[in-house]
Order: sequence, then structure tokens, then C-alpha cells
Amino acid sequence: MFVARVFLMMSLVLVALFSAAITGAQDTTLTLISWQVDEPVGDWWRAAIEEFESAHEGVTIEFTKVARPEYADTFLTLFAGGTPPEIVHLASFEYQQFADAGWMEDLGPWIEDSDLDLEGWAGQAKCHWGGQTACIMLQFFGFVMVVNDAILEEAMMEAPTNWDEYIAVLRATTKDTDGDGIVDQWGACHHTAEGSQYLSQMLSYVVGAGAYWTTSEGEVNINTPEMVEGFTRWKTILDERLTPLDLASGDCRQLMMEGKLATKLEGPWIYGFVLRAEPEIQENLRVVRVPFEVPVGGASNVIAMASEISDEKKALVWDFIALITSHEWQVQFGLHVGQPAPRPGTLVDEYYDAIPHVDLLLESQNTASAHGIDRSPTGLEIVYNEFAKIVREEAQRMVADDVDPAEIVAGLHDLALELQAAG
Amino acid sequence: MARSRRESVILYALVITVIVVLVFPLYWMFNTSLAPGTQLRRFPPVFVQPEPTFAAYERIFNERPVGVWLRNSAVVAVASTALSMFVSVLAGYSISRIRARGSQSIGLFFLMSRMLPSTLIIIPLFVSFRQLQLIGDLKSLVLAHATFITPFAVWMLKGYFDTIPAELEDAAMIDGCNPLTALLRVVLPLSAPGLAATTLYGFVLSWNDFVFARTFLVANQNAWTVNVGVASLKGEYLTEWNEIMAGSLIAMLPIVLAYLFLERYLVSGLTAGSTK
Amino acid sequence: MSRLRPGYASSDMNNMVNHPPRWSLWQPGNRHLFGYLLLLPAVLLTAAIIVYPIIAAIDLSFQKIKIAKLGRSRAPLTLANYEELFQAPEFYQAIWVTITLVAAVTLLSYVIGLATAVLVNQRFRGRKLARILVAVPWAVPSVMAAIIWWWLFDSSFGLINWALVRSGLSSEMIPWLSTPGAAFFVIVVVMVWKGYPFISVIMLAGLQSIPLELYDAAKVDGANAWNRFRFITLPGLRSVRGIALILIMLWVFRDFPIIYILTGGGPQRTTQTLAIMTYQEAFKFHDFGFAAAIGVITLIISIIASWFMVRRSDQPIY
Repeated sequence: MFVARVFLMMSLVLVALFSAAITGAQDTTLTLISWQVDEPVGDWWRAAIEEFESAHEGVTIEFTKVARPEYADTFLTLFAGGTPPEIVHLASFEYQQFADAGWMEDLGPWIEDSDLDLEGWAGQAKCHWGGQTACIMLQFFGFVMVVNDAILEEAMMEAPTNWDEYIAVLRATTKDTDGDGIVDQWGACHHTAEGSQYLSQMLSYVVGAGAYWTTSEGEVNINTPEMVEGFTRWKTILDERLTPLDLASGDCRQLMMEGKLATKLEGPWIYGFVLRAEPEIQENLRVVRVPFEVPVGGASNVIAMASEISDEKKALVWDFIALITSHEWQVQFGLHVGQPAPRPGTLVDEYYDAIPHVDLLLESQNTASAHGIDRSPTGLEIVYNEFAKIVREEAQRMVADDVDPAEIVAGLHDLALELQAAG
Repeated sequence: MARSRRESVILYALVITVIVVLVFPLYWMFNTSLAPGTQLRRFPPVFVQPEPTFAAYERIFNERPVGVWLRNSAVVAVASTALSMFVSVLAGYSISRIRARGSQSIGLFFLMSRMLPSTLIIIPLFVSFRQLQLIGDLKSLVLAHATFITPFAVWMLKGYFDTIPAELEDAAMIDGCNPLTALLRVVLPLSAPGLAATTLYGFVLSWNDFVFARTFLVANQNAWTVNVGVASLKGEYLTEWNEIMAGSLIAMLPIVLAYLFLERYLVSGLTAGSTK
Repeated sequence: MSRLRPGYASSDMNNMVNHPPRWSLWQPGNRHLFGYLLLLPAVLLTAAIIVYPIIAAIDLSFQKIKIAKLGRSRAPLTLANYEELFQAPEFYQAIWVTITLVAAVTLLSYVIGLATAVLVNQRFRGRKLARILVAVPWAVPSVMAAIIWWWLFDSSFGLINWALVRSGLSSEMIPWLSTPGAAFFVIVVVMVWKGYPFISVIMLAGLQSIPLELYDAAKVDGANAWNRFRFITLPGLRSVRGIALILIMLWVFRDFPIIYILTGGGPQRTTQTLAIMTYQEAFKFHDFGFAAAIGVITLIISIIASWFMVRRSDQPIY
């Protein structure tokens, strides 16, 4: 009878599992999902949550991490599944598709009712979507470059300041240092594995050559000589293996921290990783200007509110947004991400102690902004995923089959037009 | 059939070589998980750790809810297997013994269901679960896993029931059993090994799932199964191969143990429903 | 439980005094009813989680619908998804990738599976252990198999690249996952590693069913090892071979995690199978109607292919 009993037990377990009714309503819980949980700035989020919770009895914020590569897909699943996080933290190049679907609350009335003044708030214009204020800009940035002075010195070179010097440094420093026939030190490192980050990585060379995907009016503007030059530069770097291939951003940062990269192009957040390197390597790492006239830059990430939640929760979410956009918390935010916050007047003296290269960051983000650069191209925002995919595929084809960049660029122009028409 | 000494040596050499080659990736995983982080991007590779460290295991357990992930995997596997076993035992018995008109066609339908691509069924399931507000809930996974465990379990069990002589039931019925009690008191105890194997096999199938878990639970880190959790480690802002390997090892351990137990029954499980 | 349908329990039945006094499910004549009753839970469950979703997917495939509107409103019925699909080169490429992948993995798994089965079927000490070890990759979940090989094939720090360069087989580190042919090769390797134990185990069972006397007799007749393999072993495996091949082909056809984790279908879609394409269209590009159309076509191909193989194989699949 043992088996029969086991059988019965299994059925009971099952019934119990399914009849486990939804647990009764407890205290209010808000969800905040972010990819930054374990990054240096995660401490700032936790501190803000703690502050918020102590001011709101019975309200807790669940702070959950989703990794960057699956972030947009996850949010899509959440919103479409009818269970969005109440507090919406998104990258600025992906929020548009959510706003477009009507999933994000218009913050305009909330801002009006508060004393938050968005005048002069860096990058806030990027948060306007469909005539509404879909979000508040949390971070606006410009790329910088980390150089490893020990490697440059050994190659008897200076930190590069233009493309010719840059490529010369890359060629001189990419080599096999221990003589086993395997390259173990690289001039640069880019994410070339799958995923939409491929596009952001190429972008340094595209804008560095003076090109951009669209005009400021949102017209596709890919088939230009500058774009061909940009693609040619990208192709050179991959063809000559001046970056290790197939790596993800995480691997690249690790290589930089291990002192195996001569240069690394990235946003200001890279400084947090520089500080995590072992002391004997950290002393060689220095943040400098990117070796191009125009750096990659623009909006980085935004904070917003889900539209399909109760009014009671909306009020709480707004309180949280108001808290983290306040002067005090913006100052702290800037210190944690290693870059001035978008709120005007938050550039306090402490920055200069904490971040030696603050002026460089400001210069970089202003240059990018002046040239209308953003990772999310105007006019292609809601088809960003598809756009990133076709650019990646065409660029991979260019490298793998050794195709003329001019041909690739011309083809991409048409593909982008098609995509824009279909979207 | 005596073998010469030379033949024996060759045979052993061959067996050992083949096993080493085929099992090496698993060793390499283990080896990497014991390596300090600084060693992983350096050549020549270290084949035997001179100072193995369990730091990666410690870190992964401290920094990630691995325990929760394991529990989720186990809960889903147990529940979906229990659900599937309940309906499959009855259905398998019916198809094997009673053969009512039409039941063979139903059986055939179960068999064809094994060919269903999960990437197709996941789309309408997502829509339904969304309406039932089950997205992000482990229950969604229990139901989704039943879509592939049930069809296979019905056939595996039918196969076992076919091997039990019908005379035993007839005898039981003469002794006062009705068909249901005959099933519970005679047939089920006799097919205990088959039930155990099918249950374990269903558990393994559920544990191995990635696509359903990834899609329905991705947003809720505390509801992740261990497969989704470990796969996400690669997408981190830093790539720590020793931690990824430690996580993988922990995640597959239950299945390897199940395999050692299940090995004898593997054949009937794998070919369930494929032979008459 | 005894009163299945109210009609049956009607008074005229209860009034029959001489014959069985009450209607009972256990009467031999009601055996089929009992059979249906036992099938009922499975049928209900399957109707809810398999049949209904298939119908819903077919319905979805005839609508032009993006994720935001899912389950809230219907779009008008249209053939647009199928028209788009049959015009997309990506679709034909996915079919081609799927076919070549199925062929390559099946063939290699078969060869390795058969070879290992023959090997551990020899009589030697420790054969039991060898049998367990030789099939152990079966116990590795697909996700973990993908991750392990990812590390082994890593372009910059992978063991395989190191070995190739050190042994002089390659002059440089090969970027496996971003080179079209190489990425496909990696997928094949991982799938074969995960798939051969399955063949091996089935073949071993087949081998054990071949009477040993046949071999002894052949030896007496002077047949060498190759001829014994060809004329006794291979024919003896006929009964299990068809099944093994069909099941592994279906697995490759439908597998998702290995490709998804290693390449996501890239580079340049050279590893994008129909299963991957379906998933990406739905959950990356949010075009659920279009994705459902791909899925429906995949299902049709899958059914036709297995029906065809079942008819051709030496033994019925059920």
C-alpha cells in the first residue's frame, strides 16, 4: 500500500499548492527593479530606500536586480504581464517603447503640484514623449577614456588625443607579453558578443568620425562619408584584433582592472571600477578625454512611474521620485556614480575631492549634448531593438565577409528607412 | 572469449581515453570553480589547483539567493511532476488496460504532443497566464512543465502497465476488488519501480527547463529557478567564471544524483512510448 | 462516483430487482466508462494547457498584434503574418539552419553514441562504472552544458583556443562565437556532447538484446571483428535505431537553451533555428502574431517530419 499512499500524498501536496490562496494583503510594497543593484551606485539606491521607508510607516520598497542584457525583455514581460514595477528605472534608450504603449504615467501634473523645478535639468528634454513628461532624467553623461600609464610608458607612447594616435597606441600595445604565442594585452576592449550593446560600442567610432544615425529632426542620415569612415574604423579595430573578440562588457571591465588594457572607452561609471582595481594596478589607471572630437554621450537612465497602478501607490512613487531628485540626494547620487547629477546646482566642492576629473566629465557631456548625440537616435526610438539588431548584423557581416564599409553603410541606410516606415 | 593481454591493454586504454575526453568538460568546470579569480585570464591554464579555494562557492551563496533558486526549482519540479503523475497514472492505465474506444487516439495525441515546440506554446501560455495574473508566479511554471511531462509520463507508465499480467488483476477482482481498488492495491505496487523512474524522470525534465522559467519568471529574481539564476550570472557587469562554474555545479548536482539512481531505468524512460 | 450520469440512475434501472440491483460502474459492461473516467483528468489538463494554447496560437498567427494589446483586444483576421513570413529570407535561412543542425548533430551523436555503446558493452572489469561515466553528460542540464562549453571555447581565455595555438593547429585565437561557421560548429559540439549519451544508452540496451551465441558462431566461422560488427551488431540494432534517431532529431529541432545562451541565433543568423526565431520575434521584438505564425509552421514541419520518419523507420513509434 506504500505506493498508493505516496500517490495520495502527492495529490494532496498538489491540491495544497494550488489552493494556497493569495496571501492576504499585508503592508504596501513597492517594487523597484534596477540593473545597478550591485554596482557602486547600488549603495545610493539602498540609502534612499531606507530613508523613504523610515519616512513612510508600513511601506517597503523591494529592490530587485535584473542584469543589463535581459533588462528590456524583462520589463516588457512585466508590463505586458500586468505586473509592472511601480517605480520604473530604465535606460534612456529603451523607455520610449514603454511610454509609447501607454504604460508610463505622465509626470507633468505631478511635477506641477510639487516644488520640483526642472529648469536647466540636464537631458530632461529626452524625457518628453508624445507630448507628455514620461520620466525624469537621472543621469546624463559623456564618454571618457581610461588609459593604463604603465602600458603606454612601456610602449613609449602618450595618451592618444586623436584617431591616428589612438590607432597607433592600439597597434603598439596589443601584443603577447609572455611569449607563449597568445595575445594577452590589448589596446582596447569592446563588447562584441551578442546583444544591443554592440551598437553602443561602435558608436564611439561613428560619432568620433563626425557621423550620426539620424538628423536632429529624426531623418535617417546613415549614408554619409563620415559614417563610412566610422564603420571603416570599427572594421580596422576588429580586423586587426585590437580588442579581444566575443567578450561582453563585464569581461572588458575585468581586463581593465587586471591591467591588461592600454585604453578603455566608456561612460563615467567606469571610474567606480577603476577604484575597485588592486592598488598596484589602480595607480596606473587614469581617466582622460576621448581621442575624438565628439564623444558618445547623452541620456543614460531615467526614473518614472507605471501608469496602471492604484492612485495610492502613485502618490507613494511620486514621494520616492521627489526624494531622489532632491538637492541632497542628487549630490549623493553624483558622488556615487562618479559624475555630476543632472539637477542644476548640485556640483558641490566635494566632487572635486572625490572625482579628480570632474571638469573632463562636464566637458564631455556638454560636447555630446551640443552635437545632439544620444545612444537612442531621434526618430528610431521605438524600433531601437530592431535597429540595434540590423546594425549589429550588418557590421558583423562587414567584418566576417570583409565587405566594403561603403556598401554596408548604403544598405543600412535603406534598412533603417524601412524600419522607420514600418515602426 | 578469452582476451589476450594486448587486447585487454588496448581496450582499457580506449575506454579510459574516451571517458576522459567526454567527461573532461565536467572536470574543467569543477577545476575552474576552485580557482582564485585572478587565475582565470592567464595562460598556461592550471589543470590541478595547487591551492583550491571554495571562495567562489561562498561568494555565490552570499551574494545571490542560490538557496531560494534551488528551492524554487525543487518546488516546481515536485509540483509539476505530482500533477502530471496523478493524471498520467490514470490515463496510462486506461490506455494500457481498458482500451475503451477512442482511447488509442487520445494516446496518440499525447505522443504527438511530445513534438510540440515549447517556443510555440509559450506564446499563448504567456497570454493566458497574463490574464490569470500568474506571470512571475511559480504556479505558471508548474502548469507549463506539465505540458511536457504529462505526454511523456502517460507513455512511460503505459509501457510499465503493459508488462504487468492482467491475470493478477482478475484474481484481485475475484477476491472482491473493484477495478479502481485493483489498480491501487495490485497494479500500482507492482509497478513501483516504474512509478519511481517516471517520477524521477519527470523531476529531471522539469529541473532542466529553461525557456518557460526564463519567460514567465524573469522579472522576479526571488522566483527564479536555478537554471535562470545561473544563466544570468554570465550577463553580469563583471564576468567571474569561477562563480559561474560553482553555480552551474550546484545547479546540476541534484540531476546528476538522480541520474546515478535512474541509470538503470534510463532506457525505458528515454524510449517511453516508442515501442509497443 | 457510481452515478456518472443522472440518466443512468433513473428509476427504471433501480427497479430491476432480479438483475444487479443498482447500476454500478464496476459492471463489465461499464468498463469503457471507467476507462473514460480515468482518462478524464489527463484530457482536461491537456485541453487546458496544450490544446487550447495551440488553438490560441493559431488564432494569434492570423492577427497582426503586438504585445501591448495582447489579451485586451482582438485584431482583425489577416494573412499578413504568413505573407510576411514567406517573403522573409530570414525564414528560409532559419529553415536551412535547422535542417543542417539536425542533420549534423544527429549523425555525429549516432556515431559517437554507437561507438561508446559498443565499447562499454565489452566485458571488462569496471564496466559498470564505465557505463555510468560514458553517459554522464546526459545528466547535465542544457543551460549548464552551454555554459561549460562557452568557457572552454572562450575566444580570449578559453582552453580550446590555448590548446590549438600551443599545438600549432591554429596560428591565432579563434573568435568562435562571432565567426559564422565556427559558431555553428560550437553549437554542434555542445549538442552532440549533450545528445550522444542518449543514443549510447539506447544502443547499449539494443546490444544487450543480441544473443552472444551469434558472435561465438561467427567466430567459429572465422568472421573478423569488422564483419561481426557489420553482419551481427548493426542488424541487431535495427529495432532501436529508428527510435533513437527520431527522438534525437526532434530534440535538436526543438531545443532552445543551448543556442539561446551561446549565440542567441547570431552571428548573422547563422545559428538561428526556427525555435530561436519564434522566441526572438515574440519576446525581443514583441511581434506576437508574427512569432505565432513561425511557431505554427514549425509545428506543422515537426509533425510532417516525424510522421514521415515513423513511416520509414523499421518500427512504429507507438
